[in-house]
Amino acid sequence: MTHLEDRIERTDIRRAIERAHIIVTTGAGGVGKTTTAAGIGLAGATAGRRTLVMTIDPARRLAQAMGLDDLAPTPQRVDLPGVSGELHAMMLDMQSTFDGVIDRHASDASKARNIKKNRIYQTLSSTLSGTHEYMAMEKLHELHDEGTWDLLVIDTPPTRSALDFLDAPKRMTSFLEGRLLRILLRPAMATGRGYLRVVGAGATALVRLAGKVTGMELLDDLADFFGNFEGMYEGFKQRAEQVLELLSEPTSQFVIVTAPEPPPLREAKFFLERLEQEGLHQAGVVVNRIQPALDDVDETAVRSAADAQPDTDEGHAVAGALRMLADVASLATRERRDVEAALFGVPLKALVEVPLLQSDIHDLDGLEQISSRVAPAA
Amino acid sequence: MTTTPVLDGFDELLSSNVVLVTGKGGVGKTTVAAVLALAGVASGRRTLLVEVEERQGFSRTFGTQPWDYDEREFRPGLWGTALDPSDAVYEYLEMFYGLKRVQWVMERSNAIDFVTTAAPGLRDLLMVGKLYEIEARRREDGRRQYDLIVLDAPPTGRIVPFLQAPEGVTEIVRVGPVKRQAGQIREMLDNPKRVQAVLVTLLEEMPVQETVEGVQKLRAAGIAIGPIVTNKVMVERVSASDAKVIDGLPPDALASAGNLSGQTAALTKELVTAHRGRLALQHELRDDLASRAELPILDLPLITGKTFGEDDLHVLTDVLAEQLGEKAPRAREAVPADWRPR
Repeated sequence: MTHLEDRIERTDIRRAIERAHIIVTTGAGGVGKTTTAAGIGLAGATAGRRTLVMTIDPARRLAQAMGLDDLAPTPQRVDLPGVSGELHAMMLDMQSTFDGVIDRHASDASKARNIKKNRIYQTLSSTLSGTHEYMAMEKLHELHDEGTWDLLVIDTPPTRSALDFLDAPKRMTSFLEGRLLRILLRPAMATGRGYLRVVGAGATALVRLAGKVTGMELLDDLADFFGNFEGMYEGFKQRAEQVLELLSEPTSQFVIVTAPEPPPLREAKFFLERLEQEGLHQAGVVVNRIQPALDDVDETAVRSAADAQPDTDEGHAVAGALRMLADVASLATRERRDVEAALFGVPLKALVEVPLLQSDIHDLDGLEQISSRVAPAA
Repeated sequence: MTTTPVLDGFDELLSSNVVLVTGKGGVGKTTVAAVLALAGVASGRRTLLVEVEERQGFSRTFGTQPWDYDEREFRPGLWGTALDPSDAVYEYLEMFYGLKRVQWVMERSNAIDFVTTAAPGLRDLLMVGKLYEIEARRREDGRRQYDLIVLDAPPTGRIVPFLQAPEGVTEIVRVGPVKRQAGQIREMLDNPKRVQAVLVTLLEEMPVQETVEGVQKLRAAGIAIGPIVTNKVMVERVSASDAKVIDGLPPDALASAGNLSGQTAALTKELVTAHRGRLALQHELRDDLASRAELPILDLPLITGKTFGEDDLHVLTDVLAEQLGEKAPRAREAVPADWRPR
C-alpha cells in the first residue's frame, strides 16, 4: 500500500455534494474538469438537490450525454427519469455575460452603449486573460442571488494556470480601477488633450513613452473607457468581494481535478496550497483516467512469462495479453508514483481515482459511471 | 517492412525557421516540441527551444536548472529559453528607445503588472515580438542565429489570438513603432518558409475535435500548417483474433499460463476487452482526423516505462525519424516495426 492510500477518504466529496451550496471544479487544461463537473451535478440531482452545472466549453458528446443537443447560455433542464432532484445545465457565454453586466450596472443607457462601442472594452471583453474567470464569478454572483438553486457546480475555464481563477477578480478590478492609468490620464480625462502636463516626473516619462509606443488614440480610448466606466467600478469591486466572500464560506467547496501526470499534478499541488493560504475549502482531488492499481503484478515476471509462451495460437494470444498487462502495470506504477510525489505533504481532504474508461462519455450511463466514482454511495 | 515515409526526411518536416507546437491542453505539446527540437539537432540544425507559458516544462524534462530569458546551450547544438513578458518589455523599451532607466520607474509604479497581465493582448504581443526578434537575428557571417526555433506555443484555443496580438493592437494603435513592427511580424507569419504550426493531439474525441477546429482557424489566419502529431498512441499488443482466443480462455487457464493470481487473470481479460475497445476508437478517430484535417499524420507511441525522462525523448525522436525515412537506431526500443495504426 502506498503512503497516499492511507489518506484516501471517499466521503468528503460526497458530503460536499449533499451539503455544499457551491462546488467549483478546477485544474489544468485537458484533465476532464467539465466531465467531472457534470458527474458531480448528476450526483447532486440524485441526492435530491436542485442542481445547476455551469460549464465553459463542453464537448458536444457531453452535452448530448446530458440529453442536450447544445448547451445554451441559460439553464436547461436535463431529463432524469426516476431522480428525486433536478439537474440543469448551462454554458457561460463571456461576451453576453459581460454585456449584461454593463447593461445592468451602467449609470445610464448611453454610457452602456459608449462602453460597448469602445475598442478597449471590445478587446478587454474578448481577449484579456482573466476576463473569462471574472465573468464566471459575475455569473456565479447572479445565480446565487436568484436563490433558487440548492447546488451550483461551476466548471472553471481552461486557463494558462488553474490559479488564474482565484486571481482574476483582483486582476480585473485592479485593471478597472486603473489607479496608475488614472494618474496618467487625469489631465487627458479632464481636458481631453493636455495630458503631457502631468503629475510627477516618472509619470511624465511614462506617458510620453506610452504615447510614443502606442500613438495617441490608445490614450484617448482609455480616457473614454474609464470616463464611461466612472461609477461602475465600485460595483465591480463590491461584487468581486462578495463572490470571494461567498467562496470562502464552508458551503463553497473546491474539487481539484488532475490527470496522473507531472504537469497537471503540479498545478493541483499549487492550487491546494493556495486554497489553504486563502482559507478556502477543498472537498478533495479527483485523479482522472488513471490505470487500475495492479499492486500484486510483478511486471518483470509477467514479461518473462510472456516470452516463455509456446509457439501456438493460444500461446501467442496469452503472450500478447501478458505484455499488455505488463504495460498497464508499469504505467500504473508510474502514475501512482507521480501522484504521490506531487501531493506529498500537501493538505489533502480526499483523493478519488476515476479509471481510464474505454470510450468517451456519450450518454447518461457513462456520466453515471463518473458520478458513482467521484461520489460513491455511502 | 518498408513503408513510404510520411514526409521526405527531417528537411521536409523542419522546412521552416520556426515551428509552433500547439494542441489542446494535456496532449503533450511540451514533449512533442522537445522531440522536434531533438530532430533538429539530429539533422545538424542549430536549434532553440522556446517556452512561453512559464511552466518550466523543458527544464524538468531535461533535468536542467530552471530556464530564464537568457538563451543557453544546454546540450550540444541545443539552446533553450523561457520567455518572460516583463523581461520582454524592458528589452523592447531599451531596443527602441534606449530607455534603460525606465525599468525602475515601471517596477516602482506597478506598471509592469499592467503591461504584462492586464493590458489587452500586450503580453502576447511581447512574446510574438520577441519571437520575431529571435527569428530575424543574424550571426556575424550573416547566417541566422538559429537554423530552427521550436516554440512550445499556447494551446489551440488561444494560438490564433496569440499570433494575431500584434494586429489586434494595431486596431487600437494607429501609429508608432508597434504598428510598423506588426506589419513585419505579419510578413513572417505569412511565410511558410519562416513559420509553420504543428498540431499535437491524442486520439480521443475532444482533442481530435479541437485539432480539426485549430486547423481551420490557423488556415483562416494564414499560418502554414505542418503535419499533425498524434501523441501517446496505444501500441497494439493483442490482435482481434488473439482477443477472441483470450475471451474463450477460462481465467484459470490464463492464470496458470501467465503465473497470475485468479483475480489478476480475470482483470487481464477485462483489460484485453478495454484494450481492443481503445484500439478501435483510436482507429476511428485517426481516420476521422485524416479525412477532416487533410494533413499528413505522424504518430508517437505511449511510452509505458515506469519513468519518463530525456532518454525516452531520444527514443521518441527515432520513432519519428523512422516515419520520415531517416535513420532510427532506437525506434525498436519503444515499438514493433509495424506498429502504426493505418
